[in-house]
Amino acid sequence: MVNHPKLQPWVLPALVLVLLGLAFVSLTWGELQLNGAQLWAGLRGQDELAATVIWQLRLPRLITGMLVGAALASGGLVMQAYFRNSLASPDLLGVSAGAAAGAVSAIVFGWTLVAIWVLPLAAVAGAVVATIGVLMLAKRGASSERLLLAGVALNALLGAVTSYQLSHGVALWERNAQLLFWLLGGLEDRSWLHVMAALPIVAAAALLWPLGRPMDLLSLGEHEAQSLGVDVRGLRRRMLVLATVLAATATAVAGVVGFVGLVVPHCLRLLVGPEHRRLVPLCILGGAVFVLACDLLGRMTGNLRLGIVTALVGGPFFLWLLRKRA
Amino acid sequence: MNALTLKNITIPGRLEKVSLELPAGALVGLVGPNGAGKSTLLQVAAGLLPVAHDAACWSGRPIPKIAIMERGRCTAWVPQEAHFEFGFTVRAVVQQGRYAHGDDETGVDAALTRFDLTGLARRPVNQLSGGERQRVMLARAYVTEAPLQLWDEPLAPLDPRHGLKVLALAAELKRAGGTVIMSLHDLRVAYYLDQVAVLSQGRLQAVGRPHDVLTAKLLHDVFGVKAEFVSSLILKLP
Repeated sequence: MVNHPKLQPWVLPALVLVLLGLAFVSLTWGELQLNGAQLWAGLRGQDELAATVIWQLRLPRLITGMLVGAALASGGLVMQAYFRNSLASPDLLGVSAGAAAGAVSAIVFGWTLVAIWVLPLAAVAGAVVATIGVLMLAKRGASSERLLLAGVALNALLGAVTSYQLSHGVALWERNAQLLFWLLGGLEDRSWLHVMAALPIVAAAALLWPLGRPMDLLSLGEHEAQSLGVDVRGLRRRMLVLATVLAATATAVAGVVGFVGLVVPHCLRLLVGPEHRRLVPLCILGGAVFVLACDLLGRMTGNLRLGIVTALVGGPFFLWLLRKRA
Repeated sequence: MNALTLKNITIPGRLEKVSLELPAGALVGLVGPNGAGKSTLLQVAAGLLPVAHDAACWSGRPIPKIAIMERGRCTAWVPQEAHFEFGFTVRAVVQQGRYAHGDDETGVDAALTRFDLTGLARRPVNQLSGGERQRVMLARAYVTEAPLQLWDEPLAPLDPRHGLKVLALAAELKRAGGTVIMSLHDLRVAYYLDQVAVLSQGRLQAVGRPHDVLTAKLLHDVFGVKAEFVSSLILKLP
């Protein structure tokens, strides 16, 4: 523990407390205002109206939101270690856009009617295409300019795929409403099916846990890490698969939610330093906190969608970060 | 047993049929003009570039046959220039040298003292000067306790005093049975080492004791400089 001057030991308990507080507000706040007793009664099924609101609407939304936040923040952290660049994140590099293009295409082609798991699978496929694109355009350790330009190119390219699917056959209003959902990013009407679809996030986050230490070494250079005894090829492969699955699954259940993977790891790094053994669990918690807070903010300010709120918060943050680096 | 054996190494455009054998307990300088392939040769020796199956051996063992984690205990490699994106502290970076030893802390504080880094231990590495960064990288290589040390231009960014300290450390490692190979541009320093290997245009021109190898003719042919042997300023640690 002597390695870190600015290790703030209060960060972990503070995040847990804030998360619990946000979860409470998220379950009680809405058109039907509940108090603590009603919440408790609803959770146990004693108050029928409260039970319906909590179990059918608010709890699935809460859990989906937490999983999405955890996935985007930890996915961003992994990408930053992989590319050795603190500006890398699933949305800026086009991986989220790839997942959205995959999901939207699956809906247009009617594959989602075949089985419920087709949608997340199509999102993963789209994200894989985007990841391969990033790897081809920007090498590891590439300059920020190159990495971000690769992201701009892929976002435009994959955005065009989504736009094409959307403009193609405008008559299908209902389908297009479903498609627009992916473009805006939100947690409205999340059901237990979405929670189920987001479960791979739990597995991916668990697999991420033991990679913290070797990720420290990799984030300072791949040759350096290899010479110190890290199996760099195997580590990189696992990181890439996990980051892609995390970003794609989050996009499949909540659409494109930007800036979470950039803002959360960066703020936590400022608080506890760059060591990944600490950052992995904190990003999982911090991502959940950030997304829940943004979702609540949106709900309390006239139903702004999640993707809009995170962009309103994250966009200026990103610009500030760019300015600081220049 | 040779600490390092390289057989007929060819990396297209960079190295051409390089064979080299270095015994345990040697202090070797690797010299050559810019672009001669010194860094590439050190990377091959460190097992970082893929070569034919048994073309590169440490203590007689082909590198691919050694588990990657064990390789971290066999050799240490110091890059010419380290780029740090993230603000790990000096101490955290030095401690990474213990990764292959179960991530313990053995020798970390001693290494910090040795490289005059104790005062900087809690500073983030991405705020250090070039010479300080180089000392951090050397300290990290030192705590690996690896018998084969491969340093790419370790002296270039260092001030005279720290340059001498690094040379003294290399001599100490050698006396303990280790082998240190460092690339250099200062041929006057190379003259004090046990052996020099001269690279030019990817080919190994000569290996041997400095005053046998670094002749006026070779210096003229390889480096395009005229050598004159005169008395000069000698710096030593007090």
